[in-house]
This record gives sequence, C-alpha cells and structure tokens, in this order.
Amino acid sequence: MRAIITATVSIAALLVGLSLSAPAQAAAAPTIFDTPDFKQDRALWTSPAYYKNNTAGQLRGMALDIDAPEDATGQPAGARRYGSEGTAKLGGRSLVSPYPFKTAKEHYEAWLKEANGGTKHTKATIPDWSGRWDGGGGFGGGQNPPSETVKLLTPQYQEYYIQELKAGSEGRIWGAGAFCLPNGFFGSIGAEEFLVTPEKVWTLSSGNGSNSIRWIYTDGSGMTPEALRFPKWNGESIGFWNGDTLVVYTNQIRGWKGGISEYTDALEAVEKYRRVGDKIEGEITIYDPNVFVKPLTSRLNFELNKETNPALRPLYNTCTDTNGPSPKVFMDAKGLLNEHLSGEGAYQWDVADQRPWGTALTESDRRYKAYLAAGGKPHGQE
Amino acid sequence: MSNMKWTGLAAGALALGLASPALSHHSHAMFDHTKEVTITGNVLNFAYVNPHGFLDVAVADASGKQVKYWVEMSNLTNMVARGITPATFKKGDKVIVKMHPLKDGRAGGSYTLITAADGKHYE
Repeated sequence: MRAIITATVSIAALLVGLSLSAPAQAAAAPTIFDTPDFKQDRALWTSPAYYKNNTAGQLRGMALDIDAPEDATGQPAGARRYGSEGTAKLGGRSLVSPYPFKTAKEHYEAWLKEANGGTKHTKATIPDWSGRWDGGGGFGGGQNPPSETVKLLTPQYQEYYIQELKAGSEGRIWGAGAFCLPNGFFGSIGAEEFLVTPEKVWTLSSGNGSNSIRWIYTDGSGMTPEALRFPKWNGESIGFWNGDTLVVYTNQIRGWKGGISEYTDALEAVEKYRRVGDKIEGEITIYDPNVFVKPLTSRLNFELNKETNPALRPLYNTCTDTNGPSPKVFMDAKGLLNEHLSGEGAYQWDVADQRPWGTALTESDRRYKAYLAAGGKPHGQE
Repeated sequence: MSNMKWTGLAAGALALGLASPALSHHSHAMFDHTKEVTITGNVLNFAYVNPHGFLDVAVADASGKQVKYWVEMSNLTNMVARGITPATFKKGDKVIVKMHPLKDGRAGGSYTLITAADGKHYE
C-alpha cells in the first residue's frame, strides 16, 4: 500500500513539475527590452533577470548602443550594446537607514538633544574646511540591479522608475539640465566649497550649466515660520555643531528628480559632515513617505582637490551660453518685448506640472510606439 | 563597430550621477555612435562656453555650395584638460573634424578628433 502511495505521489509530482515547467518553456518571461507593456510586468520588477542583470547606469548606457572598452580599472565603461547582459552585483551596501527615526524632524531633534543643544563655536574654534573639494556621492544605485531600488519605492514610484529606465535604455532620456532646468536638491549636495562661520555655513558648487548654493543657519534662529514656508529648489537648512561634526536638517524641498529616483515636496533630509585630514566624511538620510517605503541613508565623501591650474577654478555657469534664452519672451509685431502664454508656439512649459519629465516620457512612449507601428526600426536597429 | 574609439565625451554625457558638480548636460543618444564621419572645412564660429562648446564649420558639398556643420564639443573643464583654449580655433581656420553624425541626417555631430590649422590633434 505504501509503495502504491509513493508511486502515486511521485507521478503526481512529476505531472505537477511538467505542468509548471511547460509554460516556462513555451514563453520566456519578458524583459524590460522586449516587453509589450512594462506596466503589466510588476511581478518581475524585483527580479534582476527583468533587466538582464544590468545596473540602472548600464541601462542608460544603452542609449548609445555600442560596446565600450573596459576602462583602466577593469570596469566596463558606460556605453552598452542595447539588450546585452549586464554585470550587476547583488549585495552592495544597503541604502535603508540604520536609524530608528520616522521623520527627519525627529531625527534632527534627537541628535540635537544628544549634543546637549550643540557646540557654540567662535571664529577661533570653528573647524577649518577651506579649500576645494571633490566628490559627494549620493544615491546612484551603484552595482546593484534596479530590482533593489524598486524594493525601496512605493508602488506608484516603482512604475515611474521603470518607465524612465525603459525609456532611458532606448535613448529617450529626460534630464533637467538638457532643458536648462535646475538640478534640484540632490544637485546641491555635491558641494565643492564649504564656507564655515560660527553663525552660518554656505556650500557652493559649480556645474557645467548651473551653479548651486545652500545657506545652513547654525545660529539657532530655526526654520522660517510655518505660515511662510513653501517648496524651494534646495529647501531651507538649519544646523548645529556637535564638536567638529556639522549636522544639517533640510525641509521645504521642492519635489523634482534626483537621488535614487524622483521625489515629492514631502522630502526632508538630515546630513552630517566631519573633516578628517584631507577628507570630509558625510552622510545623508532622506525621508519622503510618498516615494520611499523606508528612510534611506547614503554616504557623502569628499576629498581635498589639490589642483593648482587657475583655468580649472570653479566658474559661474549658465546653461543659456549654449542653449540661448527662454522661448517665453518674444518680440511682437509692434516691436515690443512680450511674453508667450503657456502652450503658445515653442513655449510649452506648464508651471503647474509637478512632473514635467513624467509628461514628457509618457508623450515619448506614445511617439516611439507610433514610430514603431509605422514601420520604424527599433532602437539599435536604425 | 565594437572597436570604436571611445572619446570620454560620451562617457561624460552618460554620467547621470546626481550629486556631482559635473552633471552632464544632455544625453548623446541623438548621435550615431556606430558611425564616424570626417568633414573638412573652415571655422565660422568657435563657442568656448559651458555647458558645452561647439564649432560651426563651413563645408563645401558636392556642388560646391557651403553647408554649415554644427560640431558639438565638451564642457570647459574637459576642453582645458585636453589643451583646447579659446584661441585654438579661429574664424577662417581650416579644420578636419571626425565626428559621430546626428542620427536624423542634419549637418552636425559630436566630435571625436579635430585637426586644427596648425596640424595639432585634439580629442
């Protein structure tokens, strides 16, 4: 009797195995490269296989659709053949915050309490952070596949993230800088200079098409009163010193793109920085419950720049040197300078659009599908 | 194609890191990186500016008509590092430009190598 049962179970298991494996052989799971509709693949977004084991950076590198040689470090350069296998590695440093705090405010206040209200520096005791600094870091995703980033995002922002990754792999990349738009909060945390005084710290950085400045008030004056607050590109920052460590709290950040993904007006951050020899060791923890399932933490590491060539000093840059002025302003038939209203001519900017990249990518998806439907060759086969 | 010269310009354009002061200005997907074409002509204008410079070059087509080519270059930091100064290209100079052409067929591209009037090469 036992033998009969065993045989029956074995046959049943074989049949179950056959029934499970048959569909897998019939149709391979879609990838981000061949899916007819990425929105239907939600169950696959947390699998590295969906991205053919590419990193987010490697997917964007497919915009060029060429093989790039390895660089001096032995790592592949950014460009990738469209649809090729990547070299992502699971198990990099986790971005999940190690701290128990639910909000940035709670985080900041706990550290302020721990520092007994903070160290009151004078000009004689304030740390010397003079010089120019390279680095910064942030939330680039590193060597992990995008599946790991997906796990950190809420469902709506997972979809936004995948939409952008897919478009980017096909060369349809929306970048704020390309439109001469600001780089947002995460464009400001890669400071090149720290101007440190007992009452205030300024951070400055010089990009190719824009510059960034932050004012961090360490004089105890606090944030702007609640009724006067509004979202700002770099937010509003206050801070305190705990010995030689600067702690910064930023709120009122305007929602935009940057860091690990896009973010909303709810984003708040706590940073800390400390100079150790020719380095400034920093860290940032970000809170945005609309976007992230948990608070995230990343390192911000700076190294003293010892470049002495005066031609490589920071510059004030404006994107318009290459791209010209805003199409909003024009000369009318009477010779007067006038302004286009939104939607007129080349001026299509909708100031109320909170996600202009989302609007653009959705339109890009529509145009690309129409192009393919009309017989156009897919990316990489033109 | 797989042995194409990698200029570093495109690598910079792809660097989409977010906390770097060297943020790229735009993607280079509009250029055909599987092709490299060479044009020879005279400089109309050299813009030594950020976020990236450019060179306008007058090139004679098959009928002898002058066609203006737009050649996208790199940002000022990269140009300084490569020895390109504001005086490297002057109006009227004869230049030879190797570039990845625009995919859509318009007269322009992203340079990979420029030979200046004095014979010096700039990557």
